[in-house]
Amino acid sequence: MRKWQLLIAVIFLVAALFVPLLALTDYTLQILFRVFLFAALGLAWNLVGGYTGQLSLGHAAYFGVGAYGLALFSKLGISPWASVSLGVGLAVICAAMIGKVSFRLRGPYFALCTIAFAEVLRLVAKNLPNVTGGDVGIQVPQLFPHSTIRCFYWSGVLLTGFALALSAWIERSRFGYYLMAIREDQDTALSVGVNAARCKLWALLISAAITGLGGALYASMFLFIVPDQVLAMDISTEIAIVAMLGGAGTLIGPLVGSVVLESAAEIFKNIFKEAHLLIYGVLIVVVVLFMPEGIVGTISRKLAWFKKAPSAPFATAAPVTAEEESQRTAINQ
Amino acid sequence: MSLLEVKHVSKRFGGLKAINDVSFLVKPGEVTFIVGPNGAGKTTLFNLITSVFHADSGSIHFEGRDISHLTPNGAAEIGIGRTFQLVKPLRNLTVLENVMLGAFLRTSSASKAEKEAAKVLSFLQMENVANLPARGMGLPTLKRLEIARALATQPKLILLDEVVAGLPTSEAIKLAMLLKRLPEWGISTIGGIEHVMQVVMRVADRVIVLDHGVLIAEGVPQDVVHRPEVIEAYLGSKYKEIAL
Ligand SMILES: Nc1ncnc2c1ncn2[C@@H]1O[C@H](COP(=O)(O)OP(=O)(O)OP(=O)(O)O)[C@@H](O)[C@H]1O
Ligand SMILES: [Mg+2]
Repeated sequence: MRKWQLLIAVIFLVAALFVPLLALTDYTLQILFRVFLFAALGLAWNLVGGYTGQLSLGHAAYFGVGAYGLALFSKLGISPWASVSLGVGLAVICAAMIGKVSFRLRGPYFALCTIAFAEVLRLVAKNLPNVTGGDVGIQVPQLFPHSTIRCFYWSGVLLTGFALALSAWIERSRFGYYLMAIREDQDTALSVGVNAARCKLWALLISAAITGLGGALYASMFLFIVPDQVLAMDISTEIAIVAMLGGAGTLIGPLVGSVVLESAAEIFKNIFKEAHLLIYGVLIVVVVLFMPEGIVGTISRKLAWFKKAPSAPFATAAPVTAEEESQRTAINQ
Repeated sequence: MSLLEVKHVSKRFGGLKAINDVSFLVKPGEVTFIVGPNGAGKTTLFNLITSVFHADSGSIHFEGRDISHLTPNGAAEIGIGRTFQLVKPLRNLTVLENVMLGAFLRTSSASKAEKEAAKVLSFLQMENVANLPARGMGLPTLKRLEIARALATQPKLILLDEVVAGLPTSEAIKLAMLLKRLPEWGISTIGGIEHVMQVVMRVADRVIVLDHGVLIAEGVPQDVVHRPEVIEAYLGSKYKEIAL
């Protein structure tokens, strides 16, 4: 199952590399860049929000810091690509600080804390006009002076490929097992020696690095950024929704989610004009209610069930269930 | 030298003294059982030894080192494994993967972890469910899974919190006979148990009796169960019928 997922994704990405050879308009390529950019961002988010189960709703912080890092460092006279690296470094440092504080909280409090940090950064960017240009915005250098749109598109595909390869490797490593253990039951993870705090932080740092790089690419594509664009809640939620729609904690879920969501958004925008946000909202509600495991999660469970159905596991024939035992103890205590 | 040394440990929850000035020793290769009724403080004691809670006073030493202020994962690292009374499997992973999680403490290689996990699963006679998701398992399997995961960390001391509770007697005794072999692996055991005396009498080298957080008796099982204070003050008629 997992091998098939990976194979399909690799074929898809390799084919995607040849798309710019078709006679597409710049506008279409720009939309496709967005598809892959958000696939990469979703894959990065998936390390924290999917495998580790820590619902971050503040990834705009790392996206925005990557974007502003590129703008600000190059304003100091540093070359564009060196500025990208410094911006990514800055995003990782932010993640270290945000993670230290927010991972002390669990569940919805963690999510709120990540939102708060991203909002603080947005307000800081708005209110430091001398540094960031405030609401007026700031210029971002061009990363690809020649065949600009194609290069952005290719870098989006490559970033997605990198994020996918990294996820596939992590999924099969001890680190990946530890992340999933933390999601499933943190007490169990601790009891077998997992340093949960350190693992969560590492997952966030890796995630923030990719997100920061994505932010820098996005900023350079627009050549000009304002806080309400790159540090906005919208970015945070879009990243999370892409991953959850496709299947949080599945390998190719975020890629599928981005393809579906971004193309749906584009189609709806053309057909319904302003009402597209409403359709978008309804789509999200439908997925959350009827496909809580996302597209990939739901499909692979259906397939697994289909395959395994004949051999009913005898192990369930135990006389006492775990639920009964926990009820008994809950009453006793 | 003793493996574990609990010295005058106390722990309160608000006004309740869950553990009250408890001291005892565990020697290497020994099977100790802590018996006590509901709320006696067995789970709390395990949580203190594994640093899930920290004692208000007193200290805990493991291989001569003060471990009173470790972290739960730190306790696992130095060789203290544990099971949870309310089973805590990773439900979406297979039985084998659950046990591999324990084995990863001593190796970063997935294939080595898988080998170690397979070894533990065969010791606990659960190879047949290895590749099934933990989600569908019944309590007897989940109780064994708790033990398997802890054993895979290759502990020196394993804390088994009510691993036979809720099991049919035949299953409990079968499991107990397996536990009796843990010293062969160089593993000391502390079991916490409410009342399944058949298991205690068969497996334990030593018994500690807790009542309302206080250690009221300690010694070899045959001796402890006949002490009047244990029978009168605590085990009462429920025990007498089993003892006789
Ligand atoms: N986290 C906690 N907060 C408050 N009180 C607690 C907590 N944990 C345990 N207690 C209380 O401490 C006392 C000892 O509980 P403990 O769970 O250690 O008993 P036990 O011997 O394991 O009993 P059982 O047979 O029910 O497992 C009980 O009165 C319990 O309500
Ligand atoms: Mg208990």
